[in-house]
Amino acid sequence: MPVEIPVEKWAGKVNEVKLGGNGRKSIVIGGETTLPFLKIDGAMPHRPAIAVEVDDVMPADWSPHLIAAWGDALEDPAVWAKKAAEYGADIIALTLDSAHPERGNTGAAEAKKTVEKVLAAVDLPVIIIGPDVAEKDNEVLIAASSVGRGQRLALGNCVDKNYRSVAAACIADGHVAIAKTPIDINLAKQLNILICDIGLAPDAILMDPTTGGLGYGIEYTYSVMERLRLAALIGDKMTSMPMICNVGEESWRQKEARATSGVPATWGDHQERALAWEGITAVSLLNSGADIVVLQHPRTIALIKDAISKLMA
Amino acid sequence: MSRFIATSAIRGAHSVIADAEATLKDALQKMGPETPVAFTSTSYFLPVIFGFTGQKITKLGDMPAALQHARSLLPPVPRDNLWLPYLGETLDAGVATLFAEEIIEGIRFAKGQQPEQYNGHKLNGPIDDVQMRSWGIQMVDGRMPGFAAIVGAAKSNEVAVEIVRQLQSRGQLVFLCSQSNGRSIIDQLRESGVDLGYDTFTVTFGTDTYSAVYALGYATRAALSFGNVAAGDIRKILLYNKFRCFAFVLALGQVDDIKYATAAGAINYGFPVIADTVIPNILPSGVTRYAHVVSLPFDDLPGKDDLEKAQRLVQRCVEIRGIKIKIAQVPIPVAYGPAFEGEVVRRENLRIEYGGKGSMCFELLTTKSLDEVEDGKITVVGPEIDAVPDGAKVPLAIVIEVAGRKMQTDFEPVLERQIHHFVNGAEGIQHIGQRDIAWLRFSKSAVNKGFKLKHLGDILHANYHNHFGAIVDKVQITLYSDPEKVKQLMGKARAIYSERNIRTAGLTDEAVDTFYSCSLCQSFAPTHICVINPERVGLCGAYNWLDCRASYEINPTGPNKPVAKGKVIDAAKGEWEGVNKFVYENTQMKTDRFTLYSIMDQPMTTCGCCECVMVLLPECNGFMLVSRDDYGMTPCGMTFTTLMGTVGGGLQTPGMMGVGKYYLLSKKFISSEGGIRRVVWLSKNLKESMEEELKAVCEREGVPDLLDKIGDGSVATTVEDLLPLLEKKGHPALTMAPLI
Ligand code: SF4
Repeated sequence: MPVEIPVEKWAGKVNEVKLGGNGRKSIVIGGETTLPFLKIDGAMPHRPAIAVEVDDVMPADWSPHLIAAWGDALEDPAVWAKKAAEYGADIIALTLDSAHPERGNTGAAEAKKTVEKVLAAVDLPVIIIGPDVAEKDNEVLIAASSVGRGQRLALGNCVDKNYRSVAAACIADGHVAIAKTPIDINLAKQLNILICDIGLAPDAILMDPTTGGLGYGIEYTYSVMERLRLAALIGDKMTSMPMICNVGEESWRQKEARATSGVPATWGDHQERALAWEGITAVSLLNSGADIVVLQHPRTIALIKDAISKLMA
Repeated sequence: MSRFIATSAIRGAHSVIADAEATLKDALQKMGPETPVAFTSTSYFLPVIFGFTGQKITKLGDMPAALQHARSLLPPVPRDNLWLPYLGETLDAGVATLFAEEIIEGIRFAKGQQPEQYNGHKLNGPIDDVQMRSWGIQMVDGRMPGFAAIVGAAKSNEVAVEIVRQLQSRGQLVFLCSQSNGRSIIDQLRESGVDLGYDTFTVTFGTDTYSAVYALGYATRAALSFGNVAAGDIRKILLYNKFRCFAFVLALGQVDDIKYATAAGAINYGFPVIADTVIPNILPSGVTRYAHVVSLPFDDLPGKDDLEKAQRLVQRCVEIRGIKIKIAQVPIPVAYGPAFEGEVVRRENLRIEYGGKGSMCFELLTTKSLDEVEDGKITVVGPEIDAVPDGAKVPLAIVIEVAGRKMQTDFEPVLERQIHHFVNGAEGIQHIGQRDIAWLRFSKSAVNKGFKLKHLGDILHANYHNHFGAIVDKVQITLYSDPEKVKQLMGKARAIYSERNIRTAGLTDEAVDTFYSCSLCQSFAPTHICVINPERVGLCGAYNWLDCRASYEINPTGPNKPVAKGKVIDAAKGEWEGVNKFVYENTQMKTDRFTLYSIMDQPMTTCGCCECVMVLLPECNGFMLVSRDDYGMTPCGMTFTTLMGTVGGGLQTPGMMGVGKYYLLSKKFISSEGGIRRVVWLSKNLKESMEEELKAVCEREGVPDLLDKIGDGSVATTVEDLLPLLEKKGHPALTMAPLI
């Protein structure tokens, strides 16, 4: 018996956001007119992208498996970024962690140097993330913004406390802002409105709805993202920004990814478990609408690449 | 439009254009059309011309076309017998002037005469792109409101310094140029040893008026970089500056034709012109947001000496441009923040209390006109704390007067209610109640740290600016601790409170054409929306129509949006086209109709935070109403908590809905089903706490003994128990038209 598949016709479309260009490789994300990978209802013109985290200082508290996988590269963000490119990263997500007041408190000058170095080392599009302290974010992101002028970087995080400065820098230097809000659809939408109000074009905004790792609030993240995406597809322009999720950090810091002893034998091999944690978190969020996932382990890059190909097929 | 100003400006424009034409002709002859022209490190060419026309001037040979365009804009100098308003023509003359001035400066650059050498110093000249961008970011993020372009020279060196200091302290950029009677403010500041440069937010342009065009070049580039505007889209460039760049021109000393002409150019950008001499005023708004040209003769300004007059001058400039004030830190000797809001001042630690049992204390916020309020003025009438013994109880009146272009008397109670929240943020200070039942307790530790009565004023001043800057421009506070005064003013305050009560009571749905929405609860109930009308509060009880309206004025991107009622579909049920449309678009298309006065037909959706739930009891032909703080069983067989699970989450459930308790008192309370007569059961705590008000409503509805006939948890928690009681007492619902 022929089964008629009900087709949902959506009025809205996720914005297409371009990163890179101007001598640098470029990538476009977003553009969906359907729920993730649901090609019956509409189109998903661009593959979700894989960004790989690169820190400007050797991460102090990383899992030995991550440290072993990257080796000496962790000591130099430029080398690290190159290696990430070899492993198949679509985007480099450079975190200026050393600017954190408790982790070095470096300033604009150091940020400029690091960004210059990484931009010179790879030709991939680059995301720059501040240390997650609003004033310090402003200082280093504005410095990074002028260094990368015209290369359409993505700058984050743009939060309610500092959105004006980050958005202004994006307008002035032609970058994309990453608007981050704490797992709340209203706040996400309001921040987008405020950023647009300043004059940044809607297609120069990415949303980071804040991600919980598997087992640590992922279902909450999932449903907030799903609702943001549904609102976008219904036609709400102020939720139509593509989404970016910080998968690696959230997954690798959880107990299941860290604990080597004192856990039931059924939890299995530590490294495989940790990788699974990152991988499953990534795939879940891709299915709830993530357009960029930021990963940490080289093997997860390959795994998620493959998963995306299969989902897109 | 002042005829005098128009004539002067147009005359000035003619002279500047003639000068530019002669200068250009000469330069072309001597240097040739290929001679390059460029301002300091910029990719915006001659920025005003580039912004207006998109033309990229890179060499002398590019200039004639631009100058011809300027000439074509130039109106003839008005004849003596012409009395028409000249605004449009004067503005065009201003633009022509800016073009000509920019061309002259461009030629000077080509000749190596810019930036200007003056008295052995090199002036800055135009601002380079890197600096423009860095300041631009601060302008967009609100740290820097805009700039003051100062033209001429101040009354004295001291006045010049004070004006600049006042501007700097407000984060305003200061551009300096031109002269008056052979003196320039640049000389005055230099002679006084003031550091001039990018680091101190002061930029020297040049000693003639032509160089003032650099200010507008800066404004043009700011719009091109930050306004998403393309060169040539001049309308957008000008509007960007009008609304986002809080700049103004301050003309010190005599204003000549060329200054008028250049000022006319600035007015195009929405920048008002303020002069410290006697010139005609152009007060109505239009091209600028408020006044265009304001004369504030320096010696007539209030103030005991020139320094105070200078402060006053800057204060007035800031008002005229509509620059909003933000106060980063509340200037009080104790810590301040939300962490202290819940604090209690206990008897052992009590230093002084205002109001409370046996004393008097009230707070009143009213609106005044802009010139009746002196911003930041805090006055204490009566004894300060140090004059009062430990543990004393003293009467107090907190009288706040605000002024603002967008302030409305309807917002007074909304703002007044914030006193509680603002004052409680101070460590060691406790505030209870509102209006004439306010009560304040100051702790010993706070007073020991130096907290005084006047600091209440500081707290309120800072907070009204920071939180209500969108509607409040000026705030002054008077604190009366003199018992006689308090008694005297109390009567006046009470009269105002009762006026407000009457006004709120008289505010009907019919009297307005806009309701307001609240989407705050969408964070957990995404398909829920509250539509709040004057006669119905939000179902959480926390927001009424006036609150939402004020909230929208203050924060247009926030959770409260205006909902145009639109055409009425059913007046009795309270259904409007506009409301339906809004509801549909804002509930993820889950709900397409809303009635405001019915519970049976398309009632409002319910989220999780309603004060009360109303439920149909079919056997009784009426409704029961249970409040959140009633934990007992109810006749519908469910407790409040269980009910919330059924009706909450953004659902529309005919026969059930969440309401704020004050909705019970409204004339529109389920008026389509018959109003309060339909209430057959009511939580006992509600019945008791609202007894007076409910009785009055029963009276009004013509059923004065109704309250006695309504059941509660103490007499019935099942329909089987309730029904006989209703029958015995003859509850009107039993004989009304059947609900089902
Ligand atoms: S219940 Fe109150 S807070 Fe929630 S949406 Fe309604 S009015 Fe707003």
